Parts: sequence; structure tokens; C-alpha cells
Amino acid sequence: MNITVKLNGIAQTIAVEPSDLLIDVIRDRLGVKSPKYGCGKGDCGACTVLLDGDVVRSCLVLAVEADGREITTVEALSMEGPNDVQRELIRNNAFQCGFCAPGVTLAAEELLRRNADPTEEEIREAVAGNLCRCTGYQQIVEAVRTAARSRRKKAGRKRRPRSGRKGVKS
Amino acid sequence: MSTKAKASKRIPRVGQGVARLDADEKVRGLAEYADDLQVPDAWYGYIVRSPVSHGRLRALTLDPDYDWSRIVVVTPDDIPGENIVDMMGRDMPFIAHDEIQYRGEPIALVAAPTRKQAREAAAHVRADIEELPPLLTLGEMIDRYKRDPSELHELCAQTIRKGDAERALEEAELVVEGEYRAGHQEQLYIEPQGMVAVPEKDGSVFIHGSMQCPYFINPELCVTLDLPPEKIRVKQSAVGGAFGGKEEFPTLLAGYCALLALKAKRPVKIIYDRHQDILYSTKRHPVWSRYRTGLDKDGTIRALCVEYVLDGGAYTTLSPVVMYRGILHAAMGYRCDHVWVDGYVFRTNTFPSGAFRGFGAPQAVWGLESHVDDLAKACGMTPHEFRLRNALREGDVTPTGGVLRHSVGSPAVLTQTVERSGFVEKLSRCSHGRVSDGKWYGIGMSFFAHGAGFTGDGEARFKAKVALDLEPGEDGWPVVLVRASSTEMGQGTFTILPQVAADGLCIDLNRVRNPYPDTKYVPNSGPTVASRTAMVVGSTVYGAAQKMKKQLEEYVTREFTGGQAVQLVDGQFLTADEKVAMTFEEAATHHFQHRGPLRVYDQFRLPDYLQWDQKNFVGDAYPSYSWGCNVAEVEVDPRTLEVNVLKVTGVYDIGKVLNPVLAKGQLEGGLVQALGYAVMEKIEIKDGLFDASRMQTYVIPTTLDIPEFDLDFVEFPYEFAVPGAKGVGEIPMNGLGPAIANAVEQATGVRMRELPITPETLFAAMTRGASGPLLRTGTA
Repeated sequence: MNITVKLNGIAQTIAVEPSDLLIDVIRDRLGVKSPKYGCGKGDCGACTVLLDGDVVRSCLVLAVEADGREITTVEALSMEGPNDVQRELIRNNAFQCGFCAPGVTLAAEELLRRNADPTEEEIREAVAGNLCRCTGYQQIVEAVRTAARSRRKKAGRKRRPRSGRKGVKS
Repeated sequence: MSTKAKASKRIPRVGQGVARLDADEKVRGLAEYADDLQVPDAWYGYIVRSPVSHGRLRALTLDPDYDWSRIVVVTPDDIPGENIVDMMGRDMPFIAHDEIQYRGEPIALVAAPTRKQAREAAAHVRADIEELPPLLTLGEMIDRYKRDPSELHELCAQTIRKGDAERALEEAELVVEGEYRAGHQEQLYIEPQGMVAVPEKDGSVFIHGSMQCPYFINPELCVTLDLPPEKIRVKQSAVGGAFGGKEEFPTLLAGYCALLALKAKRPVKIIYDRHQDILYSTKRHPVWSRYRTGLDKDGTIRALCVEYVLDGGAYTTLSPVVMYRGILHAAMGYRCDHVWVDGYVFRTNTFPSGAFRGFGAPQAVWGLESHVDDLAKACGMTPHEFRLRNALREGDVTPTGGVLRHSVGSPAVLTQTVERSGFVEKLSRCSHGRVSDGKWYGIGMSFFAHGAGFTGDGEARFKAKVALDLEPGEDGWPVVLVRASSTEMGQGTFTILPQVAADGLCIDLNRVRNPYPDTKYVPNSGPTVASRTAMVVGSTVYGAAQKMKKQLEEYVTREFTGGQAVQLVDGQFLTADEKVAMTFEEAATHHFQHRGPLRVYDQFRLPDYLQWDQKNFVGDAYPSYSWGCNVAEVEVDPRTLEVNVLKVTGVYDIGKVLNPVLAKGQLEGGLVQALGYAVMEKIEIKDGLFDASRMQTYVIPTTLDIPEFDLDFVEFPYEFAVPGAKGVGEIPMNGLGPAIANAVEQATGVRMRELPITPETLFAAMTRGASGPLLRTGTA
């Protein structure tokens, strides 16, 4: 059957089998390689993409579910070089082998789009589904925090009043 | 042409925390990992595996009702060379043909146009196997070892003998004994294993994929494929984490791909899914160790007797060197005249154990540093007093009789960590199993070293080679290419080696590149293991850079300044009166036009006084050591017995810190793996297979499990390997397990003797017999 998706702004129609996974269609059929296979079970977050702006694990989504929807990968965020989140990830040495970096970038991007001033706990929660075996994670949290700050500064928005800073921890 | 040189400080020198040079392609998703490589017409390989743990293969048959027309099958008869994996012991066949030693052992290989077809075809290969009784677990292995070691199949053994430990033990005022265990640990790199083999028209094979050691694969495949070295080209793709898991194992994958590709006459790729990767790849060796230590009441260590036993799995692979590093660290760090260490690796019928960050040392330090807390207690001293009293210092002698001549970060790391963490004051606040404020609090420490580079005289014999190429870059400007076989797997090789080269040449870092190693272009600088890249390969790159600098200076002197000597400083050739003769770019371009590109080589050398007796394990076991100290603070919930690690303080001497940002990344990342080893990561053998095969059942730390880190360096550069690095990759893995166990004892009053420490094991230890304190709950 045919599906039509908007991948990184470009509409594409492609024939898929009902059992095809979105990750395989994106990587093998549409040639976008940034979503990585890490576990195939939604545990690691390496295959993260944005589906209509929401974080999904593309290894858990059937390609047919994406019909008529918009898919965003890191390629779209960094057409003209790394975006602000990515620059902060680089500056903080927030990834090493880089295999988790596209997924972490998208999880952070999605967080900052819906929450301009996340608490540390909110940042940790947002990227808790993205496993990284190289870093100690602290650099990722730091990068997202600084990216949020610079994005707010750029948007001229103010910090929201803070109460109950102690949030959920595990 | 001549202008006065500007005083410039823009050259990123060694020691600066420049951002990783491979960051851009990685964060944008452009880096090509094994599964991203475009390989037209590639088929997919799949491995047919033994369903039994131990047996004799009587026959292998292909299902006659299955359509094999589009399938390639490889059996031992198809192997052109020897059916042997050319690693230590030479006891592992590439494809089992007679005796089967573990469940999952390859018995045939298949390739098909799609992954699905390959997997399906594999299920139609039938094996007739006569089953034999297997030995499956460390527990069973140790039971037999204690009863009668001759019941076990010994893969290798080694002893260290210094003084007369038995006699010293008898004469000591106190004797303390302890046994310690730890299970398997999975590397769990996020990128699964992946490899591609491409048969070329001239009969050669091109291997491309996820690996740590291109020059492990090349010589091995010569044996298996019966090809000369120049017919096997090996190139590293981007590597999504390795941690030792891609040290020796990719050699097997490369062999499977190459055998299939040669028979299929087309490229073959194998990309493991996570299930295959966890079940059928190497893990950290499970360990059991027993310490018997003689002490005087004043805290002097009289004798140290250690048994250090590893579960090697089914075949020898790299187990001897893992065990060597283990026994060399099992009594390392303290003054003692009488040291006996016995090391063994025995076979179990499980997947062969292999390399994992630390390589035997974390298993050794786990036992030793838990035991040292017991020693301190036995003579009424605090953990830090006892360690400070006995810690090796400059001029002291190691268990193998090597003298610590220079760059000794002990006891500096110890004193600084104690001070930084507030250890002394916090020690007095520990709960000892008595409820205070709802949770039990404990603090514990560990002190350890890590031998830099290959064990023994490995580096002296190996003589790592590197090259630097000066050639026109893609933008037309000259670039210096680092040609080393050291791979980038996240740890920062492609950043620190260019930093060192730029420093040695005294040019801008943006004129240096580190391409992916390809055996067609790079000399053999050895495997990317043993925390050796910064020290050994780094200093060889520095040597090559200095040679290239000298050659360019001579070139400019000869061609441009009429014999007036020049010096290359910050990218400019300066005469004695500080006039700029020309820039590095101008000189290099002139060189290309008139002499072509420039290549220089260098080779690693060590001081002649280093001596090593490999048979008796006497002498300088390592050229130098990195040193570290960890303090862990934990909170234990008396109701759930969950151990929450609150804070980790650590001070490390890794020699000269080449890039503090990347080095700190190594520390934190390594400590988080060590945290997993200590309290989270549990994988056991069930019916001959690992009992976890996905990331939800093999649980590693996430953002929500991370303690606060307070880490620092104290530099004792290794002067014989300029710029003086000693190695940072592995040492963060060494000490956190015992520091946490020691903290757990201070919190609960119970000494944990097995890793990982989980609520279940803690509960079992607390309720076992009358010796442990009673479990107190509900009093919070």
C-alpha cells in the first residue's frame, strides 16, 4: 500500500508493507540515516524521530501509522550547521561515540518546544528514555539547560517563577 | 615576505579542552556507522548456532524441502585456510566441526538477499549433536575449584611470587581472610556489532565496520582465508561505543562476513540485532578471588596471598592477558614484602569471556579494595589511615619487584580525595545499620592504580608505529593527516591525536585531520586498548610531528632563507631575529609542487632500564601507572534495601591531561559504567544462555540514576612519553564497585562480597546467619 509522509519538509509517497517499521522505511527506503537501530524494542531511544512534533521511537511505529503525517529527524534541524541544542551538546561534550546524539537532540528539541524553561528534573525525565553508554549524562543535562537559557534569551522571554524546585527523581 | 611575527597564542595546545573534532558529523547524524554504509548488492549473513552447551557434532544437514537456490551456506569445508581463530590458545574454531563448547557456537553460516531470508534459511540447517554434560556457571566452577581444581579445564594460569608469603603469614600478628565475586558485565555499546566484507576483483577482501583494532582482523584473516596480508584491507567505520566489546569479537564477525562473501562472490554484511548482540558477544570475565593477609597490629601488611580465578567461557581468546592484568592489580598499590598471587582461567561451556574496559583490573580491585577495608578494621584503623600508611610511593617496589621510579600520583590522589570529599568528618556520621533520619547513610573509599599500556614488555616488543602525511587537503590548503591504527569509538582519539600532532608541529589544529584508520594507509600502531592510545600512540605521534617540523624547517632553510636557520612557531617559520620567513601553508604548498607530499614515521621507544621476565612475572609490569582514589556516599533504604549512590568524589593522576574536557568525559562515563557494575547490571547464565537479551532486562544507568560527581586531576606526567599522558580510558572502571561496597558496609553494617549489590543480595546478606546485623525496619 502507498503512504504519503512529509519527511523533513518534503512530501514523499512510498509503497510499504503493512508490517514495515517506520525506522526501516526512513533508513533503507528514504535514505535518511540519522535514526539509529539500537535495540528494536523502544528501550534505547537511538531511533527517536519527531512525528507531528512528538517524540516517538521509530522502531515501535509501523510505517502505515505515519501516513499523512510529518516526520522530523536531526537532518532538518541542522541544514545550515548544528542548531542551538546541538551546539550546546558539542560544547559540553555531551556525546562521545555519537550514536545516541541524534535521538538525544530530538528529545531535547521536543522538550524545549513545549517547555521553554524546564527544571533539571524535567530535563532528566525528557532524556531518560535515551540511553547513553559513553557519558555520565550530566553533560547532556547541562547542554539542554544552557540551550534553553540561550533560546529564552533570544526569544526575550523571562524565566518563569519557580516553585517546588524539588521534583521527581526516579 | 618578511614581517615581524605576531605574538600569537592561538594554537590549541595539548592540555586545552577543545571540542571533539568529530562532533559536527555525529550530532548531525552524518557519521557513517556500520549499518549506514552503502554497499550495493550486499547480502545479509546469519549464523547457525548450536542449540546445546556441550556436545559432539555428528552431522549437519540441509532441509531437503527448503529452497536453497538463493542461499549461500558456509561450513568448515569452505574455509580456505585453517579453521581456527588465531587468538591466544588457538583453541577456538571459526565454525565448530567436532566438539561443541557452548550454546550458540557457530556450526554453519548462511547468506541471503535479505535479513529475513537469511534468518529463515538458518532455521533449516539441521544439526545432529550428541550432548555431553556442561559446566555452566562461576558458582559451579568455584565449587569444583575448592574441591579439586583438576576437575576443571584450565585455559591458563600464572603466578607472582615475591618473598615467602606463607611463612610471613604464619608470623603475622593478625590474619584476615575474604572471598569476593562478581558476575558477567555486558559492554552494551548502543551501536550493535556490524561488519561488511566486500570481495574485490583481484581476489582481495575489503573489511569495513565497527571495530577497535583493524590490525587484529588483518593477520587473523590471513590464517583463515589463506591470503597474504596485502590482500586483506580493513577499515574502521564510525563506532557507536565499544568498551572492549569491539576489541577481539569483530575479528569473528569479519571472518563470518569474509567467508560468506568469498563464497557468494558478493558483499555480505552482518548487523547484529540487540538480542543477538547480548546473547552472542563477549562479556567481562566473572571473577572469584580469595585473600589471606597477614598484618601486624600497627597496620603493617606482612603478607598478601591472593587467588584470582576467572570464568573464561568456552575458549581462551584473550583470557591470559586479562588474567595477567588482573593478578598484576590484585595486590597492587600497597607496600608488602611477601606477595603470592595465583591466577587461573577455567573453562565453562558459555560464550567466551572477553575484553571490557579495565581488562581484569576492575575484578581485581573489587576484591582487593573490599578486603583492605577489612584489614583496616582488623587493626582498628580508619579506611583512609590504613591506606595512607601502606600506599606505595615513589621509589617503592611493586608486587613483581618493579620500582616506581617516577610520575607516581600516590599518595597525592589519596590525600586529595579524602580532603575534597570531607571523608573524615562524614565517616563519623555513618549509620552502621542503625536508622537515622529514615535512611542509612554510608561513605566508603577505594584506592587503585592502572598499568599504562600493554602488560609486561608488550610495548617494548611491539614498537608502535605511526605516520604523518602532509598533503593537499580537499580545500586545496595543506593538511597533516594522522596515520595511526588507533580508532575513535567515542573516547576522543580523533581529537587528542590531532592536538598532539599540532602541538609537536607547532601549527594550527585546524590543519590536522585524523581519518578513519584503514590498513591500506596506516602503519600498525597497535590495537586501541589498554589505555595505551594517549601515552603510547600519542607520544609516537608527537615524535613524528617533531620530525616533520624539523624536516620542514630544514626545507625552508635550504630553499628560502639562504641557509639561515628557521623555526616553525605557531604556523610561521621564524628566523633567529623573529622575522617571519613564510607561513606553514606556503612552505607546505611549495613542498607539494616541487617534492610532492611528505610522509614521516616514528616508532615508540621505552627507556632501556625497564626489565620484564614474562615467565616468572618479575620486573616492571608496566612502563608507568595511572592512579586514582574514589569516595562514594550512599543512602540505603531500610525498607526496600535499595542502594542510592548520592555522590562520587575522585581524584586521578593520568599523567599529563591532553584534553581536560574529554578526559573528564572518560572519568564520568567510566564511573557510570562502574556504577552499573556495582549496583545495577546483572546477567546470569540460564540453560547455558545469558538470562537477559534486551535493554529492559539488562538494565544500565539512565539520567535518573546518576550521582553527583566531584572529579579532579593531579598531574604527574610520564616524562618518557612526551607529552606525558599515562592513560584514562580504563581507570574510572576500577574502583567504584569496592568504594560503594565499603560505603554500604558503613551504612548497613554488612560486608557485601558479591557484585552487583542489589536489594535481593543485600537482603540475603543481612538475613544470613547471626553474624550479620538484624534487619531493622519500621523504626524510621
